[in-house]
Amino acid sequence: MQLTGKTVAFVVANTAAVLMALYIAFASDLERPYWAVFTVFIVANPLTGAVRSKTVFRMLGTVTGAAMALLLIPPLVDAPVLLCLAISLWIGLCLYVSLQDRRPHSYAFVLAGYTAAIVGFSVVNTPNAIFDTAVARVEEISVGLVCAAVAHSVIFPQNVLEGLTERIDRALRRCRTWITEALAATQSSDLEGQQQLSKLVSDLQILYEHVSFETSDVPRNASVVGALQDRLALILPRVSGVQTALAALSAAGPITRSTLQAIEAVSHWARATPGAHGAPPSDTGSEVRAALARLTAESENGAEWSLLLQRTIATQLEELLTELSEAVWLADALKNPYGTSVTGPRLEPPSRRALSTDRGLALRSAFAAVVGTLIACALWIQGSWPEGAVAAQFAGIGCTLFATVDKPPKVLFVGIVGVLLALPMAALYQFAIFPRIDGFPSLALVLTPTLLLFSWMQASERLAVMGFLLAISFAGGLALQESYRPDFASFVNTNTGEIAGLAIAAVVTLIFTTIDPVWNAVRISRAGWHEVARLVERPNSDIRQWTLRMFDRLGLVLQRLLAAKRKDLVGPRIDGLRDLRVGINLATLQRSSEALPAAVRHSMSPVLNAVADAYLGLARDKALAGAGTERAIDQGLAVLGAQAPTRTVEDALTALVGLRLDLTAFGSRYLPQPVHS
Amino acid sequence: MIGEIQVDGVLIPALLALAVEAYLVLFVLRAILRRLHFYRLVWHAGLFDTALYVVILWLTALVSTPFVLQEWALRWLRG
Repeated sequence: MQLTGKTVAFVVANTAAVLMALYIAFASDLERPYWAVFTVFIVANPLTGAVRSKTVFRMLGTVTGAAMALLLIPPLVDAPVLLCLAISLWIGLCLYVSLQDRRPHSYAFVLAGYTAAIVGFSVVNTPNAIFDTAVARVEEISVGLVCAAVAHSVIFPQNVLEGLTERIDRALRRCRTWITEALAATQSSDLEGQQQLSKLVSDLQILYEHVSFETSDVPRNASVVGALQDRLALILPRVSGVQTALAALSAAGPITRSTLQAIEAVSHWARATPGAHGAPPSDTGSEVRAALARLTAESENGAEWSLLLQRTIATQLEELLTELSEAVWLADALKNPYGTSVTGPRLEPPSRRALSTDRGLALRSAFAAVVGTLIACALWIQGSWPEGAVAAQFAGIGCTLFATVDKPPKVLFVGIVGVLLALPMAALYQFAIFPRIDGFPSLALVLTPTLLLFSWMQASERLAVMGFLLAISFAGGLALQESYRPDFASFVNTNTGEIAGLAIAAVVTLIFTTIDPVWNAVRISRAGWHEVARLVERPNSDIRQWTLRMFDRLGLVLQRLLAAKRKDLVGPRIDGLRDLRVGINLATLQRSSEALPAAVRHSMSPVLNAVADAYLGLARDKALAGAGTERAIDQGLAVLGAQAPTRTVEDALTALVGLRLDLTAFGSRYLPQPVHS
Repeated sequence: MIGEIQVDGVLIPALLALAVEAYLVLFVLRAILRRLHFYRLVWHAGLFDTALYVVILWLTALVSTPFVLQEWALRWLRG
């Protein structure tokens, strides 16, 4: 592991934050100073913006959760069963809401859920203390939060943008290679790469939420990021669209010289575009534009299948060119917000962009949280187990945390190893070192090496989870109090309670939310097919948001298929890129047919309906390609072919050709025919 | 201690109320300064904001002194 300046900055800031929090907590006589220490480790992140946003949401969540406990405990304290039911339902509700949103905001709901459990379950034997406990919890947490936020923003802050722009550059480089490879037709489909690009586009949105919490010198550019996302999400469908058309063209006959030249020009341009030096998007090489214009001119005035295909290729290449050059420009604008004076592409106002969420799975996780907490509560009440409250708290926390983890048992295992490693260290401090020291300076001195070690582990990618768990269980094990009180029995009891609670959580999560990744991939794809069909039902839906959602879904599907080592399933049924192309073509067709004469517009609606039916059929396990769709599209092509070739007609025509390529059996060719009305 | 504010029977330290208020002022001020591209002139924005916060807190404490602070705190503030 390397010891870079960034790591050192993070380690120093984090240790300083912990000591500061500890000092303030001791100085103001807080009941449990180690909660402040927990908090610092929980919000710790090498990126300042992430620390600050998590601070805000953790604060909101803690206050809400404590208020909920205040509301629930007094009336229900004499009815333990009702109380347990109420708190576990609250945890489930919060978890469900938090899973509906993959942005940093969801953390507030997570906290609101289990803070109620932590405060509520710890006072059932002394209900009079509920107000004090709730206030103490909020105080301890906020001390930790403020210390972490101040330390991380004052001591060598690192902003979110730096890491982000580097990843964007990498994605753009990969897009360029894809374009050259795909156009040279040497490409075997790079599913891992597609999944990574999709993850980047979604991460771009999630990470960018942090930027509004960054220190003030970091420029806010939400519209640039939004526009960049749109462009990046479109590049892959376009490339694959050209590929499909090219395959169909070579099946239909020899490929003409001008097609080859245009493709060669675009691929050369994609290879050679400078990384980012403020080149305006219009400056995309006049020779490329000329080659494309030649291809368009040559294939004009004709309704033969091969000419239509050539026109489609020309349009797609042109779109690809625009999107890639705009993406390069936007990435550059993100890097030098004050640098470029050249006006870029028109930016759409940033809209609220929803990533795809999975209601069904969220419901299962919420149910698991309710059941897990209730099981721990049942053991606690039936077994008269004094530390049962701790187990119930940790069952709730565990279920909430495991809900977003791929393999809960693995995390639980790491957690138990962490506890087992941390406990001897905590015991060493508790029973060997603390009896010999006195006062805060010496405490700080003996703690610093351990804190530095934990912070350093958190900074490294591989050890982050381990370091976090070690830090948490160490702080919990120490349970630093203002005065030193060794009590071995309660030391062991509390820690068994924690492990029991987490084990219950892991088992319950496994039982309720383990699903076969392949089955899940099919489920996610099916949701996507319904969305394609919905485009037809609601003609005015926002295609940009739709594309982002589908692109996100493509990544989720691929991630699951790759995890299950079932690449072979990507094919005639599951093909996210095809769904994207169909949706984009549908939207183009809808948009351009609005500008066409009413008679022509009406002849397009059978096509739209046929596509929607085909996708609804796909969701019901039927084959996508059908004779009905093919007939409807051919009819539409014939109607449009008879129109004067304006820009709108051309757009609609290429969209129809794109649909025909995706929705009919490979090798089927369109034969021009007289129009039947 | 420094004075306290009573809200529905709950005593809240005046300093807490002032701290929250100072943060709100800082929030607005930051937005304005950012709009003016002021932070391009600042070497360390995190440090600057923290210092700005302390200044605002001090100023608000000074202004609100006659209303909430006790006699001894007044003497201390006046030096």
